[in-house]
Amino acid sequence: MPARRWLRPITLLPLLQAWPWLLLALALLAVRFSKGAGLADAYALLSRPFWPGTAQAEWLRSARRFEDQARLSTLEAENARLRGLIGLQQASPKRPTAAVIARDPAGWWQTLLLGRGSLQGVREGNAVLAPGGLIGLVTSVTPSTARVTLLTDPASRVGVWVGRTRHHGLLTGLGTPRPVLRFLEKDPGVLAGDLVTTSPASTLVPPDLPVGVIQSVDISADPAPEAVVQLAAPVGAVDWVQLLAP
Amino acid sequence: MALLSRQPWLTASILLVPLLTLAAPGWPRLAEVGPAWSVLWLLPWALVDGPLSGVVAGAVLGLLLDALHPSGVSELPALVLLGWWWGRMGRLGTPVERSFNLGLLAMLGSLLLDLTLMLQWILRSSLAVGSGHGPSGGIDPALLAQPGWHLADLAGAGLHVLLARMLLTGLLAPVLCSLQLLLWRQQAGGGSRR
Repeated sequence: MPARRWLRPITLLPLLQAWPWLLLALALLAVRFSKGAGLADAYALLSRPFWPGTAQAEWLRSARRFEDQARLSTLEAENARLRGLIGLQQASPKRPTAAVIARDPAGWWQTLLLGRGSLQGVREGNAVLAPGGLIGLVTSVTPSTARVTLLTDPASRVGVWVGRTRHHGLLTGLGTPRPVLRFLEKDPGVLAGDLVTTSPASTLVPPDLPVGVIQSVDISADPAPEAVVQLAAPVGAVDWVQLLAP
Repeated sequence: MALLSRQPWLTASILLVPLLTLAAPGWPRLAEVGPAWSVLWLLPWALVDGPLSGVVAGAVLGLLLDALHPSGVSELPALVLLGWWWGRMGRLGTPVERSFNLGLLAMLGSLLLDLTLMLQWILRSSLAVGSGHGPSGGIDPALLAQPGWHLADLAGAGLHVLLARMLLTGLLAPVLCSLQLLLWRQQAGGGSRR
């Protein structure tokens, strides 16, 4: 009888009193074996209002732009030095501007008329640039005007190349807003999205001018593989252009 | 040649055609293509002034417009033909005054003008030799470099330009040509009475 009386409080009472501690121990074990998942999630939830916002992202973008500009200047200087070494022409830093005084971008003749002519130094063959890249070449000049044949005009033929694959082609106007790039190789290996520039070895147009982006490729076209090019410059909307001697 | 000889300031209105072609105003456009201003001026002129005046005006217009274009095709033959045709129509038949007739004649004129341009480009491109392949079986760069409208371009973008210009010219003709006819008939009548 005395043994039975002592047995009951000894076995149940501590267990009943220690259940919160048991729960805490279980929770700690769970945190341990889940490698702190709950803790990290809880921290993320609590600290969310203090996470880096758009201001920080803008700072990063600005820093990246600055870095890109610095790299661009370095590469341009390096490019000029190398071109000088191998005897190719230099890209001229002077780019006179001219106003577009008449345009016909969607008829039989896709041309612009510029309010600057031979008296101001414009010559036949000058490249015409708009924000984005090359849009055409000067094909005739009067004392005060210059006529530009756009890259979209069927009479326009400009040698270009795709920098990624280092393949040359002939950019051919079709009378539509998107000219076609006809390659001289049977397998040019280009893809949609590739950048098209003027050839770095070109003597007719200034080298390395951006022209557009390849939109689609037709390898089976006859007689040469073709790619449709979306021009980088908005040809129908330009009011001022820059002129560049080849 | 009544108008041409006696109303030089009316003759000077022919200069409006190259000026409008150069200005290429943005509002009268269909699918980005403007009307054939030469047809819209020549139609009432030839109807009022006869075939000889129509031929001369067509030739002058053709020379003016060809000077504005860089390529080697010409609008002159079609404009001379239209000037003669519409001049004869004005002299021999009943006077053309209805809007529908003016629109139809302008559409036919624009169609003929563009067809002659297309024909000239086809002739030029057919002079190219070979099929695009060089002597060694590769691609001939010289042929790819040949500029101008080719048959495939004409069948695509060329047809688009032709149809858009024809429709727009036909739509504008009843308004513009009616006014010109009215004005020039009054001037011609006044001139002949003097």
